[in-house]
Amino acid sequence: MRFSLNDQQSNVTKFPQLALAVVFALCLPIGVWAAETATENDAAGLRLFNEQVLPLLKSKCFGCHSHASGEMGGGLTLDSRSGWGEGGEHGPAIVPGKPEESLLIKAVRREDSKLQMPPGENLSAAEIELLTTWIKRGAPDPRITRPVLKHDDDATDWWSLRPLQSPAVPDVALTKQQSGNAIDAFVERRLRDKGITPAPKADRRTLIRRLYLDLHGLSPTPEAVTSFVADSDPQAYEKLMDRLLNSERYGERWARHWLDTVHFADSHGCEHDVFRPNAWRYRDYVIGSFNRDTPWGRFIREQLAADRFFPDEPELTPALGFIAAGPLELSRAGTAPVTFDYLDRDDMVTQTMAAFTSTTANCARCHYHKFDPISQEDYYSLQAVFAGVGKGAIEFDADPQVARERRRLNELLAAAKTGDRATLLAEEHAGVVAKWEEEFGHQPAAWLPLLPTGFVSSDGSTLKLLEDHSILASDVRPEKDTYTITAPSSVTKLTALRLDVLADDSLPLKGPGRQDNGNLHLSEFEAFVVEDGTTERTPLKIKKATADWDQAGWTISHALDGNIGTAWGIYPKVGASHYAVFELDEPATLKPSSQLVVVLKQLHGGGHLIGRAKLYATDAPGASANVLPETVLAAVKVARDQRSDDQQAAIAAHALQIYAEQQLAGLPARAAVYAVSSSYSHATKRASPIAPKVVHVLRRGDIDKPGAVAVPGALSAIASISGRFDLADPNDEASRRAALAEWLASTDNPLTWRSIVNRTWTHHFGRGLCDTPNDFGRMGGVPSHPELLDWLAVWFRDDAKGSLKKLHRLILLSSTWQRASTLPRSTSETSEVSTDQSADGATIDSDNRLLWRMNRRRLDAESYRDSILQISGRIDLTMGGPGIQQFTQSKGAQATPKLDYDAFDWNNPSAARRSIYRVVWRGIADPFMESLDFPDLGLLPSTRGESVSALQALSVFNNDFVLHHSRVLATSLETTQTTIDEQVAQACRLVYLREPRDEERTLLTAYAQKHGLAATCRVLLNSNEFLFVE
Amino acid sequence: MSSSRREFLWNIGGGLGGLAVSQMLAHEALSADGVRPRAEFNGGLHHPAKARRVIQLFMTGGASPMDTFDYKPELEKLHGQKLGPDEKPEGFTAMPGAIMKSPFLFKQHGESGRWVSSVFPHQAEVVDEMAFLMAMASKTNVHGPGTYMMNSGFLLPGFPSMGAWISYGLGNLTDELPTFVVLPDAKGLPYNQKGPFSAGFLPAVNQGTVINASGKNPIPDLFAREKYQFATRDAYRDGFELLRKLNAGHAAKTPQDSQLDARIKSYELAARMQLSAHEAFDVSRENESTHQAYGLNEPVTEDFGRRCLLARRLVERGTRLVQVWSGPQGATGNWDNHGSIPKELPPIAKSVD
Repeated sequence: MRFSLNDQQSNVTKFPQLALAVVFALCLPIGVWAAETATENDAAGLRLFNEQVLPLLKSKCFGCHSHASGEMGGGLTLDSRSGWGEGGEHGPAIVPGKPEESLLIKAVRREDSKLQMPPGENLSAAEIELLTTWIKRGAPDPRITRPVLKHDDDATDWWSLRPLQSPAVPDVALTKQQSGNAIDAFVERRLRDKGITPAPKADRRTLIRRLYLDLHGLSPTPEAVTSFVADSDPQAYEKLMDRLLNSERYGERWARHWLDTVHFADSHGCEHDVFRPNAWRYRDYVIGSFNRDTPWGRFIREQLAADRFFPDEPELTPALGFIAAGPLELSRAGTAPVTFDYLDRDDMVTQTMAAFTSTTANCARCHYHKFDPISQEDYYSLQAVFAGVGKGAIEFDADPQVARERRRLNELLAAAKTGDRATLLAEEHAGVVAKWEEEFGHQPAAWLPLLPTGFVSSDGSTLKLLEDHSILASDVRPEKDTYTITAPSSVTKLTALRLDVLADDSLPLKGPGRQDNGNLHLSEFEAFVVEDGTTERTPLKIKKATADWDQAGWTISHALDGNIGTAWGIYPKVGASHYAVFELDEPATLKPSSQLVVVLKQLHGGGHLIGRAKLYATDAPGASANVLPETVLAAVKVARDQRSDDQQAAIAAHALQIYAEQQLAGLPARAAVYAVSSSYSHATKRASPIAPKVVHVLRRGDIDKPGAVAVPGALSAIASISGRFDLADPNDEASRRAALAEWLASTDNPLTWRSIVNRTWTHHFGRGLCDTPNDFGRMGGVPSHPELLDWLAVWFRDDAKGSLKKLHRLILLSSTWQRASTLPRSTSETSEVSTDQSADGATIDSDNRLLWRMNRRRLDAESYRDSILQISGRIDLTMGGPGIQQFTQSKGAQATPKLDYDAFDWNNPSAARRSIYRVVWRGIADPFMESLDFPDLGLLPSTRGESVSALQALSVFNNDFVLHHSRVLATSLETTQTTIDEQVAQACRLVYLREPRDEERTLLTAYAQKHGLAATCRVLLNSNEFLFVE
Repeated sequence: MSSSRREFLWNIGGGLGGLAVSQMLAHEALSADGVRPRAEFNGGLHHPAKARRVIQLFMTGGASPMDTFDYKPELEKLHGQKLGPDEKPEGFTAMPGAIMKSPFLFKQHGESGRWVSSVFPHQAEVVDEMAFLMAMASKTNVHGPGTYMMNSGFLLPGFPSMGAWISYGLGNLTDELPTFVVLPDAKGLPYNQKGPFSAGFLPAVNQGTVINASGKNPIPDLFAREKYQFATRDAYRDGFELLRKLNAGHAAKTPQDSQLDARIKSYELAARMQLSAHEAFDVSRENESTHQAYGLNEPVTEDFGRRCLLARRLVERGTRLVQVWSGPQGATGNWDNHGSIPKELPPIAKSVD
């Protein structure tokens, strides 16, 4: 068991609020303020302040009212002039020159029962008099600088915050067998200091299994083992390592570590644990990034602001899934939106800072961090970084060429909308415009009226057919209504329908609507064909609608959007007729006996109904039927060479709009990823630019006590880089994220580089040089080899240029990584170990902090599962794509479905995919994977333990997955080997990667004869030799 | 135990001696698996713990205090009035309506004079046996965060639940049953699904074991499913023996390692859990008067009563904390009741009374 008591304690103390027993050691910085005197303050008054008033404030008030204490009781601080000048919840604390009006004086005099200070202790009369005198003199106070961001030297003097410097590699003479790289020199020096002789190099069988499981999370094949063991090439190990690093299996294995760190899952989690069907694209992005060996600094930039740094690589959009990887409290989003915003951003801040800098910034949400130099201002500055993002299915073009074309067309659309003449009249577009005019500009479509044979109102309007074939509504005016009009078609090849809404004297303000203001709202327009003698309605698919006039925000497209909450309106152009044209997707060929049915849904309410309507049909080519805006209509009538620029621009705008819309419709569909974007609103589920929200520093983390407005920034404790961002335009949302990415990826940020090399080390050794990879603060662990950690961080940053594969190589080539996990049975057997001065590592350093041996590790859930798939010959190495659901799903009580993992059929081919491609439901995890320590993907950065329990034993012994694959393995052995003895031996080769020992062979064969080969495989797959990596 | 002694035992038995070794190692091994009592925590408490076991009944959706035990006469005076302009309730799904008095009749009961509404006629008879903490407040009125709050003390996911802390801090009282057991409503999981039983950042071994009280396999994977015909009882028994031998052989090759020993031990515990769980989950072993007392004979209380009785049997046998959930997540069928308190509260209240 790796969970030593120390590990668990550090887990507890990381969260002091929860610890069963916590001693609060408050080491808090003291504010430092400017000592310059302001000219308006008289010297004597200042002396009074400095010598008498300030000491009094410090001793009696600062405990609850200063930045240094991290407390701002009532929102009031007394550690700067602006602090008392602005005051807190009750207003300014001091009015210079007017002690009687100063709340501070009222409070210390205890005049108001609700405001008595200091609590539980009366100031002496002399002290009150001193304050009164000082205020009377105008309250001279030289502290003009806010002491917001000063951390004292002690607070920032901590190993993880110190600037990175590369220590000299110790000059340690290594023996031949130990010869290795700089890592070994650092490790060896500590071991020699303690007099510990390290374990020898592991044998080749052990090494290849360790290497495969470390880099691929898969057991090697017996053939690979045999060939490596027999390989006489001195470079055999290095070549094997490079082959594994260059395999795509590597990305699948190491992406999982990162997905743990960013608590990625395929569903929201929380109360409404809704599926995120597009989240997998972020998973694939991470796998690809590891396989491509994206430099670490770039990996940071891509995940925080790919849209800003790499606008020409839209295929990187899934990187932004990083920010949205955590849970989403959908229920709170609906009922408590402000709380939701703050807590949702809390997740982004917590995750980003833990993942990249191993810092617990979130502990400063309600107060100054109790242990580390992180102020509330720092924390809310980090919140401000994310204040403009919306989470949701963000669309993007995976093909950069398509993206460029889409951007061009959208720019054309925008130019058409704004009337940007330079674009509209540009030479490059002249051809498109001329072509449109040639085809459609001169030939208005011929419209043949429909003669209604049936017309009904759903809600009681009286509909009457007039002589001109229009229909007039009168009498009762319901709130909402739906008119259904039936008519034989007036054309045989229908390309478009037209709806005229006509002004009429009988209507309010002459209509054409029935609302008191003459308006109408057409929620949906639907058309159907009914063949003679049937009642079946075949819908006519409508491609596009145009109207001669759209009310602002109530455009004709709303009549086709399938959303009855939106509609077409004509306000304020009432008292006049209007019309709309509905162009069919494909021309419809109609029999003379067919009937057209047109349904006019008017469901907005308030009597927004059509007063008088008339329908037409045409067989003219689609686009020519579209409504030409009045200006365009007038312009096309003017001969080309006599048109003004205005007229030509109007034509071009219309023609280019149609062109751009057609071209856009022809582009490949966009992909989507669950991610963030600055133009996505979670609330409306629609893309529309949103300005960053204002983030306040919340006093005591209370939503009802907003303090100063937070500006985007990060930690102020790192002296060499500014903790507040100097943004050209703070409303440019992406620039906030980009600034944070730059702060994180800065070569001057010591946390970032220490964090990633320590994470990588953790996954190679089962334990980090600092054993709390998510917390480098005072509540975390301290590094066992601080100089090695710093040397690695600098080497990774400067020499390896952020290449993880280079870092892996360095580590894997070290003797330290290649050691055996145990000492040989008897030390005298190994000549390398000198008995006279060697100390027993097991006694001096039983915890192996000094790395005298390799740590033995249990297979994690994925490695166990994937190795069984590999051994049973079933594994399907298809990469990427939507997640595999290894459960059945049924409807739940609310938005969260019910999942049944037991009902999954393991014969399903998808069962053989690698574990990383499973759909991970945040709140309903796979119990089998959980039993092997698959982590909770809730708020905190996940770390995996290696637990052992009876329940885990039951799972591994009885779970369907293991039993099913025991049978699959047995069946395959039975077809390749003839005798039970050989079947058992081959099973040992596959599972243990070695020949069975004689006594094992006897035991296993006897068991197989009695209970069958499948039962035997089940036992082997439960055995320690398989479950542990030596 | 020294490695040479184990090595010796292994060698003399040709492997069989290893069986004895693993038995002898059992106690030592367990101390490594994270579920032994931890003296340092008991000693660190302000008040030494008196309670050793807990049964927690959780009313999903939130039982309305003012309609059950918290008599609010002022509401009768204010009935029908609108909230004043200073009141701005956060997180309402709709505009707040008028103030409503409880539609249920309140009476005082017992020597303590505890007020109880008419929805709990049976509990009203035993109020003197109950303790009431009438000073609870919540930071949220949203179900999901509220359910986290009740279980972990935090509004956000990712923190250990009370049961996980107790399992972690105090360890187990028995090897034969899970330390923290959850009995969800048969109609479904609570808000946040399995989030309320999470071990958060504590080792996974401390998370709640969800027991399907009515299923064949109450504990997940307690037995192999019948469709795996090779997984017979005999194959199971002999398989454990074989596994022990293989593991002991593997362990004998290396100096003592608590990781390996703990895994060896965990299979022995698993075998014992299989035996004891069968007995513990068999509610029919209780006598008729107990069945009567738990309402097992009445359809309305049968489900909840059965789970309460099961909870009792589990804590009697050493489980530290059992959570019994009344009602699944959702807007109906639980204690949410804001559709209609007069119609919805009485039936759910009756099911637990």
